[in-house]
Amino acid sequence: MSYAYLFKYIIIGDTGVGKSCLLLQFTDKRFQPVHDLTIGVEFGARMITIDNKLIKLQIWDTAGQEAFRSITRSYYRGAAGALLVYDITRRETFNHLTTWLEDARQHSNSNMVIMLIGNKSDLESRREVKKEEGDAFAREHGLIFMETSARTAANVEEAFINTAKEIYEKIQEGVFDINNEANGIKIGPQHSPSNASLPPGSQSSSPSSGCC
Amino acid sequence: RSRQDRHYFVVIDSRPDPRSLPHSFSDLQILYDNPKETVWKFVNNLRDRPYETTLSTFSKFSEYLLYRNPETRPDEDVADLFNQRLMETPTAVIKSSVEEEGYHVVGRSALLPPRPVVCRGQPLSIQQWASATDDEGRISDVDSIKSIIFKGGVSPSLRYDVWKFLLGYYPWQSTNAERQDLRKQKIEDYFRMKLQWRSMTAEQESRFSDFRERKSLIEKDVNRTDRTVPFFSGENNPNLVLLYDILMTYVMYNFDLGYVQGMSDLLSPILSLMSNEADAFWCFVGFMDKVYRNFDMDQAGMKKQLSQLHTLLTAAGPDLSSYLDEHDSGNMFFCFRWLLVWFKREFSHDDIMTLWEVLWTGLPCSNFHLLVCVAILDTEKAIITDSNYGFTEILKHINDLSFKMNLEKLLCEAEAIYLQLENAPNLTMSTKRVLGLAPDVSPTSTSSDDDSIVDASPDKPESESFTDDFEQGFERAITTNYY
Repeated sequence: MSYAYLFKYIIIGDTGVGKSCLLLQFTDKRFQPVHDLTIGVEFGARMITIDNKLIKLQIWDTAGQEAFRSITRSYYRGAAGALLVYDITRRETFNHLTTWLEDARQHSNSNMVIMLIGNKSDLESRREVKKEEGDAFAREHGLIFMETSARTAANVEEAFINTAKEIYEKIQEGVFDINNEANGIKIGPQHSPSNASLPPGSQSSSPSSGCC
Repeated sequence: RSRQDRHYFVVIDSRPDPRSLPHSFSDLQILYDNPKETVWKFVNNLRDRPYETTLSTFSKFSEYLLYRNPETRPDEDVADLFNQRLMETPTAVIKSSVEEEGYHVVGRSALLPPRPVVCRGQPLSIQQWASATDDEGRISDVDSIKSIIFKGGVSPSLRYDVWKFLLGYYPWQSTNAERQDLRKQKIEDYFRMKLQWRSMTAEQESRFSDFRERKSLIEKDVNRTDRTVPFFSGENNPNLVLLYDILMTYVMYNFDLGYVQGMSDLLSPILSLMSNEADAFWCFVGFMDKVYRNFDMDQAGMKKQLSQLHTLLTAAGPDLSSYLDEHDSGNMFFCFRWLLVWFKREFSHDDIMTLWEVLWTGLPCSNFHLLVCVAILDTEKAIITDSNYGFTEILKHINDLSFKMNLEKLLCEAEAIYLQLENAPNLTMSTKRVLGLAPDVSPTSTSSDDDSIVDASPDKPESESFTDDFEQGFERAITTNYY
């Protein structure tokens, strides 16, 4: 399947907040609580449609423990979007957001869209962080915010897709230089001006992009 | 090179015969069309821009000799001769990872002997093990036992015993009686340490955040370690409690290190084999003693290994190593998972047992696990370079190899690569150090940056200070190449 754009995402946040589960829910539409803990970085990918254009999301899921921070940092480079995840049932994962955010801002490109996610919203009885607090943090730092549940799939689609919409808008506004892959955006193969000769049929799956 | 003017070099030709220069160039078969003209052009340019001309010409020669396809390369003899010259003088090509503006960095590959064909052997058998055990239970001829294990692993039924020796739980020379006492002592020690965290009150814990943090992390991680392996699968599996207890006790055993993700992966196969809590703990301790640097808070140990891996790859597969450098991947981060948990996530449970016991023998050299990485990369080289993969694609491709690799084949390749390197005439000093073929330097010196060629000639140049000066100049010079 050929796409108009490819967006690179990175998922960050403390260990055990549900980063891998969010990814799996988004890519495979299933919840697997006994998923092996992530070492290094893992990948997921899925196609979505925005404005009638196929967009491929390539998602990098990272290990959360602090010891691995210095390695994980190298993956920020070239990401167009980041999902910064905390666990609403564990206050400390919320408290660490500032460090994560500083880290992300420092090592990514300045236009990276960051979505703040309060995960495990299904565990209302164990909630330690109010929704308003997440909201306030997001407003203060200019992030988009959502509470999700990887278990029930609530808001998971929205979290990934809204981030993509924001990136897409930035492209339309000309904020992102789409020719610079360091921004985490790639133009799909059939949309690239340098690749004119393609097998017949590859054009059919999506309309050609009227990219800025 | 003049001390007053660093741009001034004196080139001395020991053979005053004016024909010898063009003559030797013709011998090299580098200059096809008109050697004389090329040589005079060189001489003229040398007058105007001596430094640049010397270096660019020299690097062109080295590139020609070392990197051209075999069919266009002059006779091996000539290349060997050329290499020998490089080794005898301190002007040898130095590999460098520093790229300066307008320069292209070249590395010099050692010319490797052909890769031998290596076969795997049979696993250590009950009979072999029995005949190596004397009446009192001492293991004789440890070296040959280890080399059998290196070549073929251990028969599954022997693992319970043999791993304890490989992991330093029992000394090879101990008798049955001594081992019995030792085990008693170890079990006692284990439960004493276990009691330390078990007896901690909630109040105590509330004022002990380092402990609490570790505890909560372990709680989370035991629930997501190898849950598809039958030994740990299912709800409320009692073996998860063992996994938890051992990791918690390890925190008390080595609080400075504590618990870092990846450790549960290292413990899981050991525990599933030993079943017994205390035995598994002490075997785990033995394994951790080998790999604790993987879990440094600042990841210094991992970074060092990634750089050592790069060094080995540069020696064994310079094409791929320079491809990776040019594609943002010279840091080898894509091998991180392999190294952190010794390929635990790449092979099946059975394969991992074989691979680990092979690696625990410490044969045939230091850091053999890095050569396993080199063997995998060598297998994937064509796909990576032909598809023109970049940083992301390489990482993805490497990640996706998980559970798709043939361990036995890779072990053969890794050993074959070792034999190649061992017999290579001019390995860099740092390559030798990584493999333990040269003494390691003190931790204070910057070994990873030092890629100097081993000086094969016993005669040291007359003046050390001159040599150093000379070396540094050439290091700068030779690593830069006009494109």
